[in-house]
Amino acid sequence: MNIMQALSIPFLLGGFFFFLAATIGLLRFPDFYTRLHATGKGDTLAVLLSLIGLSVYEGFSFTAVKILFIAVFMFLAQPTSTHAISRAAMRCGLKPWVKK
Amino acid sequence: MGLFFLVLLCLYRGVFGPGVLNRVAAISAIGTKTLVILLIMGYIYQRVDMFVDISMVYALLNFIGTITVAKYLEMSGEI
Amino acid sequence: MTRLTDDIIIRAVARIMIPFIQLYALYVIMHGHHSPGGGFQGGVILGASFILYLITHGLEEARARMSELKAGIFSASGLLIYSGIGLLCLILGSNFLNYGSLSLILKVIPAQARSLGILGVEIGVGITVMAVMFSIFFDISTGGIIPEDKEIKEENG
Repeated sequence: MNIMQALSIPFLLGGFFFFLAATIGLLRFPDFYTRLHATGKGDTLAVLLSLIGLSVYEGFSFTAVKILFIAVFMFLAQPTSTHAISRAAMRCGLKPWVKK
Repeated sequence: MGLFFLVLLCLYRGVFGPGVLNRVAAISAIGTKTLVILLIMGYIYQRVDMFVDISMVYALLNFIGTITVAKYLEMSGEI
Repeated sequence: MTRLTDDIIIRAVARIMIPFIQLYALYVIMHGHHSPGGGFQGGVILGASFILYLITHGLEEARARMSELKAGIFSASGLLIYSGIGLLCLILGSNFLNYGSLSLILKVIPAQARSLGILGVEIGVGITVMAVMFSIFFDISTGGIIPEDKEIKEENG
């Protein structure tokens, strides 16, 4: 196991930890908007870390650059789709949850 | 292996979420987890070049699908 | 009440994304023999990029860029390329779609002629699939009623 493969392990573990945190948030939060926070931010960071870890595992080849392209696309596209869903919910009149 | 279990947990919210908007968010999260699972499967089977193209196409389709459903729900005017 | 087509965040992000999506679709068409892809898959991704433009920028702007007339011409010309190559092989002496006989025109060895023939067929199929996808989505979203027809009907009756 050379140095490149050993360097990619913390990235992959961090990605898995953030996926776990985002899913637990999706299950346990009380309202729709808070769940959208959890999956929008947590999922984006987790995918970014996982893809960087996988591209470092590969070394300096053409496939690693392609995986980095996917990572950049995900970084731009996922917050936009979260924004689109929350805007649709706001227009339909869904009220946020207020702590009593 | 652990990611597959997380996908099943997310599917629970997709089935039981009150209203359609919770389900849309859950499907987007499932799609993102599927992408990483596809890449890891590519590493297990030693054919990475093929699975990278497939996962990029799935990222595109997930993005376009979520925006389409959001626009339809906004125009129809109900949850 | 502002709609999704007036939102500036989604419009700006889609405007950046669409050229790269189309470039990736061309890559998928060209590398059909070596990696997963080919004619039909690349055509679907090209059509999806046009659908993204239609969703985020509204109906009128999308029609200004590609009207129904242009979509019809594109689909017909893609089919013309596909069957034209097949008929060309038929004229030159072999069976239908036997690309080996293209080497009589292009002056290359038959193995290379087969590779070029398949590439041409894939491009034709990709163009047709893109035009048909855009046309179907456009017809579903307007319901077949164009605003110019509505004005003519109001003038008449």
